[in-house]
Amino acid sequence: MTTARTPALHLNKVSYRHPGDTASALDAVSLSVAPGEVVAVLGPSGAGKSTLLALLDGQLPGWAGAASVLGHALQPERALPRHLRPDTGFIFQDLGLVDRASARQNVLNGRLGRTPAAASLFGRFTLDDHQATDQALQDCGIADLAGRRADQLSGGQRQRVAIARCLAQQPKLILADEPVSSLDPTRADSLMRLITSLARDRGASVVFSSHQPDIARRFADRIVGLRAGCIAFDTSAAGLNEAQIAGLYAEAAVAPAAQPLPDTGVA
Amino acid sequence: MRSLWPAILIAAAVLWAGASADIDLSKLAASGPRMADFLSRMFPPDLSIMREMGRGLAETLRIAILGTLGSVILSVPLGIMAAETISPAWVFRPTRAALALIRAIPLILVAMLMVGAVGLGPLPGILAITFHATGMLAKFYAEAIDGVAPGPVLALDSIGATRLQRLRFGIWPQMAPVILRDTVFRFELNLRESLILGIVGAGGIGLSVQTYVRSFQYDKAATVTIAIAALVVLIELLNNLLRKRFS
Repeated sequence: MTTARTPALHLNKVSYRHPGDTASALDAVSLSVAPGEVVAVLGPSGAGKSTLLALLDGQLPGWAGAASVLGHALQPERALPRHLRPDTGFIFQDLGLVDRASARQNVLNGRLGRTPAAASLFGRFTLDDHQATDQALQDCGIADLAGRRADQLSGGQRQRVAIARCLAQQPKLILADEPVSSLDPTRADSLMRLITSLARDRGASVVFSSHQPDIARRFADRIVGLRAGCIAFDTSAAGLNEAQIAGLYAEAAVAPAAQPLPDTGVA
Repeated sequence: MRSLWPAILIAAAVLWAGASADIDLSKLAASGPRMADFLSRMFPPDLSIMREMGRGLAETLRIAILGTLGSVILSVPLGIMAAETISPAWVFRPTRAALALIRAIPLILVAMLMVGAVGLGPLPGILAITFHATGMLAKFYAEAIDGVAPGPVLALDSIGATRLQRLRFGIWPQMAPVILRDTVFRFELNLRESLILGIVGAGGIGLSVQTYVRSFQYDKAATVTIAIAALVVLIELLNNLLRKRFS
């Protein structure tokens, strides 16, 4: 159970190295996110942003350190148990939509972790599933596209379907991996507004990665700078300064020292 | 000089084939009247055999349908075994090699062996088509499995979908159109190939063709030939329609 005092996620000196790599993708990362908080993970390509989010989603077993998500301790050597997955929604960079399925079916797929599995195999979903799906389609402004196949939608519409699928899942924590990296500034703004406002309405925490400081500033409460797998800074959105940004993206700069949070222990 | 070798080899092969076979081109030149006679005896086609021909064509169609069904049943497990994204190398490599070997054996040879094994009639034809088509269809199924984009499946895994839910909602929607298209394509090939199975006694319309040609009833042979061509064109049109639907 998540209470007001339980962080949405907590990492204590978490490290991860991709199989076959010599350098660590994440190096002693410590981070805590409060319930309802919107946190941006900012950093250049290869900084470890996607790795961090995938690890939080339980996709990457084999890490070291201690981590908990929504009050549940993650097991370093195991994938996240299936029954915990619906509480964590993930918006993938490549969206992960089933192209030949309708927009509605893609959104309904967000209910797969919550609906009785056997009935769903025969296409039978509960009333709750249908209501959550219709609500998510409505909230994302794509109710009129529900019957269209995903591969017949524009890039922006597909993004909305992916967001709606995540919302239909009714997660308590939303992880979004560069959700607007391929969009023009206007579209990026409207989609980020959609994700963060809908998450706030639902009281869900959001951790999104981005390499655009502007986006991070405008939509996050807090910004965590990640560089070469280490946390370079952890500041409020208002407190982010140009020197921090320059340091994050400076090519020749020495990897900044990590600023781990106090070791509070993990459940 | 090295670049000339392919040309020299091809020229040598053509010369060898032309010089060593018992081919007398003057026969072709002198056969004009004979050909004219042959063609004139094909027309008008004898339509009195429609009923018998209908039975032969129906049997051919049945051989193609049941042979395709047999190869689909075999291709599902073999396709899974030959897919490198889900089977270990020690399973998919030998399976693929076995499928390549099956594809290398000509259908007519398989049909002759089946006739020897189970006797005359449509059954050896069905078995031959099943065996022969599986070599190709299982490979197609394996490619369909390997062609599934991992993104949507990973997304469903992250949502908390079970293995069967991922198969039903992530993998199957991607594979189904490819598998249906390939199966219909293979059915079309099976139908074309089963037309000649009767020649070796493995049932179907092929037996009629052989009988009419050998007994010089060219007008009847012409009727059967036209009917076969019409059936093949019809199936191809149907196949094209289905392929558009599955794309």
